[in-house]
Amino acid sequence: MKCICLIFILFQTELIAQISPGPRSLSMGSAGVALKDVWSLQHNSAGIAEIRRPIFALGYERHFSDQDLSTQKAVFVIPFKQHVFGLSFHRYGFSEYSEQTAGIAYSRNFSGALALSIMLKYHQLSIYKYGSSSAVSVDAGLQYRISDRFWIGTHISNPSNSRFQDLLGSTIPSSLSFGVSFEFSDKVLVISDIYMVLNAGIDTKLGLEYRLIKWFALRGGISASPFKQYAGFGIQHHRFTLDVASSSHPNLGYSPNLAFSYEF
Amino acid sequence: MNFNGKYFGFILFLLSIMPHIVCAQDDDSDIIEKILDILSPDLGDEQDYSDIAERLNYYRKHPIDLNNATKDQLQELIFLSPIQINEILSHSLENGPFINVYELQSIRSLDIESVNLLINFVKVTLPTSFQDLTFKKLVQKADHDIMVRIGKILERQAGFSTLANSKEANYQGSAWRVLTRYRYNFSNSLAASLNMEKDAGEQFFDSSKNKGFDFYSGNISIRGSGVVKKLLIGDYALQFGQGLVMWSGSGFGKGSGISTIAKQDFGLKPYSSVNESMFLRGASGTFKFRKLFFTPFFSKKNLDASTTDQGKEISTISFSGLHRTKSEIENKSRLSSTIYGAHIQFNSKRLNIGFTSYQTQFSLPFSIGKSLYEQYDFRGNLLTNLGINYDYNYKNTYFFGEMAHSKNGGSAFINGIMSSLSPRVSLVLMHRRYAKNYHSFFNQSVSEASNPVNESGFYSALSLKFDSKWDLFTYSDFFRFPWLKFRVNAPSSGYEIFAQINYKMNKKLNLNTRFKQQVREENSEGIITHSGLETVDKQNYRIEISYGINDRFSFRNRVEMVRYQKGNSKFELGFLNYQDIIYKPMSSRLSGNVRFGIFDTESFNSRIYAYENDVLYAYSVPAYQGKGVRFYVNARYTLIRGFDLWLRYSLTSYYDQITVGSGGDQINGNKRSDIRMQIRYQF
Repeated sequence: MKCICLIFILFQTELIAQISPGPRSLSMGSAGVALKDVWSLQHNSAGIAEIRRPIFALGYERHFSDQDLSTQKAVFVIPFKQHVFGLSFHRYGFSEYSEQTAGIAYSRNFSGALALSIMLKYHQLSIYKYGSSSAVSVDAGLQYRISDRFWIGTHISNPSNSRFQDLLGSTIPSSLSFGVSFEFSDKVLVISDIYMVLNAGIDTKLGLEYRLIKWFALRGGISASPFKQYAGFGIQHHRFTLDVASSSHPNLGYSPNLAFSYEF
Repeated sequence: MNFNGKYFGFILFLLSIMPHIVCAQDDDSDIIEKILDILSPDLGDEQDYSDIAERLNYYRKHPIDLNNATKDQLQELIFLSPIQINEILSHSLENGPFINVYELQSIRSLDIESVNLLINFVKVTLPTSFQDLTFKKLVQKADHDIMVRIGKILERQAGFSTLANSKEANYQGSAWRVLTRYRYNFSNSLAASLNMEKDAGEQFFDSSKNKGFDFYSGNISIRGSGVVKKLLIGDYALQFGQGLVMWSGSGFGKGSGISTIAKQDFGLKPYSSVNESMFLRGASGTFKFRKLFFTPFFSKKNLDASTTDQGKEISTISFSGLHRTKSEIENKSRLSSTIYGAHIQFNSKRLNIGFTSYQTQFSLPFSIGKSLYEQYDFRGNLLTNLGINYDYNYKNTYFFGEMAHSKNGGSAFINGIMSSLSPRVSLVLMHRRYAKNYHSFFNQSVSEASNPVNESGFYSALSLKFDSKWDLFTYSDFFRFPWLKFRVNAPSSGYEIFAQINYKMNKKLNLNTRFKQQVREENSEGIITHSGLETVDKQNYRIEISYGINDRFSFRNRVEMVRYQKGNSKFELGFLNYQDIIYKPMSSRLSGNVRFGIFDTESFNSRIYAYENDVLYAYSVPAYQGKGVRFYVNARYTLIRGFDLWLRYSLTSYYDQITVGSGGDQINGNKRSDIRMQIRYQF
């Protein structure tokens, strides 16, 4: 009963928030279309175009502090000069319900001011007693530098409106998002996204990162619909990075999110 | 003073950018209006800003000397944040005394906008020798300010009907409003004030019982620099900590700027407003012993109240100060309250800690309301309040908070952080938790509900200055009400989102857009939901453009829309559009402004509040509601230096309405017009 209830609630909210961002983005209101880090693979793969060394990252998110419901994800980025490739794996659900996604992305930076990216995703959905189905979708994104400290980005997900053929009613959301990132100083970064999901609505997000000291950053953010508050922090030590975040939904509670990355 | 080259160069640099700032100076009332507008975007018309306006006007005329400025003085300017105040005060300690006000620009946390506002209220002078007080000087060198304001609604209201004068609900006095005030100031060290007021419908020299005005308020106060910091007899206000325990007089909550959310307490203040209830009457003083400030207070004052049938218990207190009908007159001063207590504050450069305790005794006990939501309201006739407040400044971050407890009741907490992350980015985070049975009659801390009780919430705000032209202010607030409320028969929650973008194209053109969304829960109407509540979603959209045509005329145009939706029922819209014309020549005796507005709101729910210009010291933020047009003209004429006249006429004309207002205020017809005249003489 509890699970059925949760599915019901989660289908409503998760459809809008299916991007499942990394903890850095999540703690900043889950905005990040104009953000640049390894987890950009999850919301705008153009953000990996400036990565110069291979990076591997693992992430885990527990939804609404529920013991069963979680997301596990892994991303890997490897650059070959200007050509940057990314791999992402993502699993969401619990024993009776699971969504799995694997993606491969190619990103390239043109003259330092424009980054373009395309990503191919393979989705698999299985629901206990209902069967399973798979589908392929395409994402594309870009980031553009207005000035050294001001970037904009846009991302489109599943424009061809792919769907799971064997499980009617289960769709892969088609979305369009637009984001800005503004660096006020070496310590302060502000990002904001507008995120539109076809047939679902518009969300506005705002996030702030404050680099208190060189290896430690505090983050916070909000999103407007559904109204959620976010907070988190990041620690960097040599080549290791640890990011911790949590979102807070007024009725459903907290969703902690944790990720760890290593730069080769 | 010895200059080195670098310092001198810096001054030269500042002087070179001075013209830019000098141009940005506005006229008195403009600046004060701007500040009040920043502080109070959507407050209802019940708020009274006259005391703040008066204080700002005072400092406009008598600027604060930056080299002798005190924290209190800077706090009184309202628009500065605690971080900014601390940096201004420490600037002269670190860099030597100010030589020019434009040095303010080198203070990290002061943005251009704040500097532009601040330079209107400060000056730089070299230290003066001690002034000896003689009686002659007290009279001659002092400022006197006498003001008389009268006004009335021109249409006949039902309460003034002559047909049935004996009726219970009829107003006993005339329709005129009269306010007389006198201010005396001697170089910021000795002050006196007197207010005498009569509201519309109140008796005035016209009955055997009432000889004179309906409301008198006055005080004499001394500001010193020794052991006695302040001493006051008469009517006063007390503002401590974050307002949980004791905050009388005006207080602001969630405004459209970052400076108001962390309250800056003034401690003891002379009371100068015409609000007839939220003040203390008696004596108080602030005494300084090294780093300790001790403020004992005593007050004995009557309140208007209605009693239960037997007349032995109080059912409600009225704070309106209106004594028009027989029953209102009967309820006048029925209840007597005695308040005594003290506040002790430890002040160091960075850390301030205060402790407040006081007791309130009422002559009659409070009865318990019958409804379930009133279960935890105050009862009895004795209330003891305790509280601890703190603030601490560390580098670019300011911590503030207060913990309070009412005896035999609950506790309340408020804690926050304000940080200027960079000169262009400021952040505020604030958590609050007020128990459902926490009681204080002088509680004005930040809250969503009108009373800061039965609420918990988290507020976060971000202010971004992208460059000298663009800035953004945004806040979000999530709140819960753990116990029932009026018209909310279950525990409920909600949130508020606010965002404002300001674009200052040049000194003549300013563009402002604003969005506000408020989501709350309320009892459902008809539809049965599992909690009995429905979501109420109210969204405001606003665009305002102001532009100067030439050095005499400037225009201001606002379009505002409200969308109100309850549950799944059809949404309703409210719409307001107005055009202001402001005439303010550089050196003319006449100045003024005109508004022409159109409004169309489907009901009370989609009403729109808008700030209106008024005669000096009067400020109103009325609700525009229904369908109609609004017009006002407001003029000031300076007869001779120090002698000013104001005249204001306003008219609201409604479509499809045969009456305006309700109860005793009802007018037969579709128009309501109001006239107001004011004379001020300063010498």
